[in-house]
Amino acid sequence: MAADNTFYIAVAGMAVASYACRIGGHLLMGYIRITPRVEAALRSIPLAVMVGIVTPAATAGKLPEIAGLAAVALAMKLTGKDVVAVIAGSAAVAVVRWLLPGT
Amino acid sequence: MQEIGPSRVEEARVPFTMEGVRRGFVAAAKILSPGVTFYALVFGVVASEKGLSAIQAMLMSAVVYSGSAQMAALQGWTDSAVITPLIFTILVMNARYVLYGAAIYPWLSRTTPRQAYSTLFFLGDGSWAMAMREYDAGYRDAGYVFGSGIAMFIPWVGGTLVGHVLAREVPNPAAFGLDFVLVSFSAIAAMQMWRGKSDLWPAAAAALAALLFYRLLPGGWYIVAAGLAGGAMGAWRHGK
Repeated sequence: MAADNTFYIAVAGMAVASYACRIGGHLLMGYIRITPRVEAALRSIPLAVMVGIVTPAATAGKLPEIAGLAAVALAMKLTGKDVVAVIAGSAAVAVVRWLLPGT
Repeated sequence: MQEIGPSRVEEARVPFTMEGVRRGFVAAAKILSPGVTFYALVFGVVASEKGLSAIQAMLMSAVVYSGSAQMAALQGWTDSAVITPLIFTILVMNARYVLYGAAIYPWLSRTTPRQAYSTLFFLGDGSWAMAMREYDAGYRDAGYVFGSGIAMFIPWVGGTLVGHVLAREVPNPAAFGLDFVLVSFSAIAAMQMWRGKSDLWPAAAAALAALLFYRLLPGGWYIVAAGLAGGAMGAWRHGK
């Protein structure tokens, strides 16, 4: 996909979508009031998307991914630093893949 | 740009000066730039993983300019040309910016439309939070919002290039677990965003929707489904 014009069409579409979100609230405030319920929905979305990305990887039952997520959670608990946790996650995945080729 | 909306606040203009831009830039460069740079490096590596050229990755960072949304879009990147889920992923991931734009409206609506719409292009999570803090403290030079956004934009695009270059130095990224970086980052972000029991139901709805749509549809639709399910659950559970 990255090789042809489709990429540039996709990026243009994503750019328009991104900018529309950025100016959307500014435009809408002239017309509607953002109720607490609407605000609750908007606030729930980022976390939901993150959970959505992690869930298929976590539930596929593959050992490297499970070890990686455990390492990420442990590193976050111990250090609280996202840089350390990302490195720990990738290291755990790499080690399990190295110990158990084919997983 | 014409004046938009019947209830547009017609108060006195706020200043938009170079001094304000500089103040915002310096403040955000100190606090936000290191994190943005690291995230940009990660995006550059993942973009390289997905087969984007350095120019393509930088172009995407410059015009889409949203970390988590670009990451999520790349996760749904496939060889087949499925553009619609990519655009919906951006919309769902960046829906929070509608809220940001609404919250900062009382400030930016008192600038010229050109100033407001260019400032909104560079708005980021961190620069928005910093700007709202300044506004609370009584600061009114809207150049601050623009400058703090620029201090995120430059390391974001530059870091994307560096990450992409570094990724090519790695012979087999999967052997080093680099393909796992996005999942790691998403897990970390979810832990940091977690505010307590009120998040349980939206998260559960998102997880269920993700599992269901991961099996049903190709591309990144499961991410869109997770975001919409979580948002709907968040609205439904509001006040309960």
